[in-house]
Amino acid sequence: MTADRGETPAGTAGAGTADLTLDATVAEADLPPQLVAQSLGEYMRASWLRIRGGNSGVLPVILAIVIVAVVFEIITPEHAYLRPSNLVYIFGLSTVYMILAIAETVVLLIAEVDLSVGAVALIGGAIAFKLVQQPGPNWPWWAAILAALAICGAFGALQGALVSLLRIPSFVVTLGGFLLFSGILIIILGGADSTVSLNTEVPNQNFIYDMVQGLISPVIGWIVLALVVVGAGASQWRREAARRRRNLVTPPRSLTAIRIALMAIVGAAVVIVCSVNRGTSLKHVTGIPWVIPIVLVVLAAWTLVLQRTRYGRYIYAIGGNPESARRAGVSLPKIRIWAFALCSATAALGGILLGSFFFGQYSTNTADPGQLVLYTVAASVIGGVSLFGGRGKAIHGVLGGLLIGGIAYGVSLLNLGSLSTPLTYILPGGVLLIAVLIDVQSRRGAGA
Amino acid sequence: MSEVPVTADPGETPAGTGVGTADLTLDATAATADVPAELLAQSLGQYFRASWQRVRGGNAGVLPVLLALVVVAIGFQIANSKFLGAQNLVNLFEQSSIYMLLAIAEIFALLLGEIDLSVGLVMGMSSVVVAELVQPTGANWPWWAAIIVALLASTAFGALQGTLVSRLKMPSFIVTLGGLLILEGVAIIVLGGSLVGIGNGGFKNEVYLYNIFWGTFSPVVSWILLVVLVGAAGGGLWLQDARKRRRGLETAPRSLVAMKIGLIAVAGIAIVAICNVNRAHAGTIEGVPFIIAIVLFVLVASTVLLQRTRFGRYVYAIGGNPEAARRAGVRLPVIRTWSFALAGLISGIAGVLFASWQVSITTNIIKAANSYVLLAVAAAVIGGTSLFGGRGKTIHGVLGGLVIGAIYNGLYLLGVSSQWIDVAVAAVLIAAAIIDVLSRRGAPSRA
Repeated sequence: MTADRGETPAGTAGAGTADLTLDATVAEADLPPQLVAQSLGEYMRASWLRIRGGNSGVLPVILAIVIVAVVFEIITPEHAYLRPSNLVYIFGLSTVYMILAIAETVVLLIAEVDLSVGAVALIGGAIAFKLVQQPGPNWPWWAAILAALAICGAFGALQGALVSLLRIPSFVVTLGGFLLFSGILIIILGGADSTVSLNTEVPNQNFIYDMVQGLISPVIGWIVLALVVVGAGASQWRREAARRRRNLVTPPRSLTAIRIALMAIVGAAVVIVCSVNRGTSLKHVTGIPWVIPIVLVVLAAWTLVLQRTRYGRYIYAIGGNPESARRAGVSLPKIRIWAFALCSATAALGGILLGSFFFGQYSTNTADPGQLVLYTVAASVIGGVSLFGGRGKAIHGVLGGLLIGGIAYGVSLLNLGSLSTPLTYILPGGVLLIAVLIDVQSRRGAGA
Repeated sequence: MSEVPVTADPGETPAGTGVGTADLTLDATAATADVPAELLAQSLGQYFRASWQRVRGGNAGVLPVLLALVVVAIGFQIANSKFLGAQNLVNLFEQSSIYMLLAIAEIFALLLGEIDLSVGLVMGMSSVVVAELVQPTGANWPWWAAIIVALLASTAFGALQGTLVSRLKMPSFIVTLGGLLILEGVAIIVLGGSLVGIGNGGFKNEVYLYNIFWGTFSPVVSWILLVVLVGAAGGGLWLQDARKRRRGLETAPRSLVAMKIGLIAVAGIAIVAICNVNRAHAGTIEGVPFIIAIVLFVLVASTVLLQRTRFGRYVYAIGGNPEAARRAGVRLPVIRTWSFALAGLISGIAGVLFASWQVSITTNIIKAANSYVLLAVAAAVIGGTSLFGGRGKTIHGVLGGLVIGAIYNGLYLLGVSSQWIDVAVAAVLIAAAIIDVLSRRGAPSRA
């Protein structure tokens, strides 16, 4: 199957980009059934074969999320796990893992690792929170967020430069980065015991507070959902129509319809869940937390970058085989430095959301950067991102992060007393080991 | 660049021609030090010239880290004249001992080209186990039985992780990441309540545990032990050298052996002399701390195991090229599993020291134990061990641990807050990695 790649002499250039696209697709999914299938039945059969061949994509992690949800729903007192209030809380709790896991995925895709994401994320949050303080710099919220992303992106670029220009292993560079940024974090916060908090009375600061805590009213939620589904659905439908006109291979129409319907159903479910009153009968709390659209935007942006741009194809190409990517004309240092920079900038956003989740309080106790990075790598890998580069998508990070947050919250609901803390470590650890074991075994089954 | 002629001969020997062991020895030596100067030099002068060339060729060995130690020591001494005082030096060594042991443990994984992220929490788990088992109101075991159980548990956990890595082919990064999460939970479960202590002077077993870290040999015993040790080491070196000479094998010049023995004696005398100074503010605390003996024992045992046994040669062979090692008949899963088990064992020893050092263990201290793993990797890398397997020695872990300990201690003496200390350690780590990469670039690239 790989023979044709071998036959093309390396470095014949010219057709470089086209080659890379092929490479990226191959690295990601051997043979996507879309390329083969002509009808829905064929597509399903092809997908099933792909799963049996070890390319199960997001299926295992979705299965795991379902299992975790069902099990916790059964064993939690009063079957409280799937209550709307808890579901919304779980999403908020998982946000930092989701965003950081997306960030880590980018670096994992080029077969490197970033151990500094936790510390960088916390620095990002601390910077943004510091910059909107009043009295203090009193920057507008958007400028504070942009500054945090830019500074953290620069930190990432610096690490990426050490990795790609000097070829120092990323493990060591980012380990040093982890120590360095953990120290800088405390310096920015102004000492080991200091706290930075947002004043929700001030609209400028309240905006950052609202990024996780703020709510969109259900009516607006429905309108936005309708717009998004119609917009995304129409663009997908039109793109496929265009492909069909040009006689390119396209998935069957029924599949596209099913996809759009699924998107609408999931979206409607989210809006319905969020529209239920989560407060008391006296004080109604309803609406969609801002953080859900924020995560979706980050996910969509990264999915577009990774799947639809040349930069994304280069990332997969480097992850699949750096040498062949280089010979095809990809500038490895440039792509790698950008990957580290964008990873750190994305992580900074995660850090800001983390502070918002903790009701706008930021201190050195908000999160342990070491713990954060371990959970982040675990989330990416549980989601289905390969540690060896070239395999994984942004959605994997989101699902892995959701699973980690779901487990953590489920355990805390169980009233296990002294057992609940240890279980928040043991369960993610166990899930991580099982996830990798399945991954390794399935790939062995695939004969790779 | 495969056309470099240096690597030509291993390629010419067809794999699996039967001389497996001999080949591997060569491989292992080549992996550690290209061509050891000892094998070529016939006189002291030649030896130094050969060593110098080796250093220039990028095989600096322990030289950079020794240099770093000297620089750090001089710098801190200038900044604070207490730094090289007897009291602080002993203190410094005590603080560094945990880094040293964990770095040695980590090196067993790094040499294979693997990584063990769980050493910090294996230490944490071992410390909780040992402290729980001697509780007079609980298990009330004798101190030695508690230690044995803690070490067995640590070894077993290491072996389990090694099995997952070697038999199921799971990446060690993930296995030990999952392992550390699970261990953190297990350690908190074993801890049970919020605190377990071994500081009660009324119970013999707790006193014994406490003394492992805080106890010392009396000055007289320290001197006697030094004489015995230097005598044994010197005699061993000399006899080994003489035996080689009798058999007409290549040997280092006699003067070099004498110099080595002299250096050991001088270093030993310096350590004992420093430790025998009374370092208490009131009363007397003097003599060599037990932990110096413990670290020395672990260092010597692991060095012998890695440099002088078939197991050690196989470890280097796997680190250098697993496929070649496998074709030469090395059973990869067995060696890998044992390496991880030994990493677990040594982390377990560190755990016993950790319990003794902390005196009381809490959930927060277990969490703190986890942060040691990154410093252990940093110590190994600063010491000169490669992250890619096959290059490094356990002495690197000891020296790297000493550098990290010295930075923490020195900056602390200067009143620098802990966040700046982290920044300094990070800078040293990055500098070590850059030096390593640049020096290897200067060397004729192999492979």
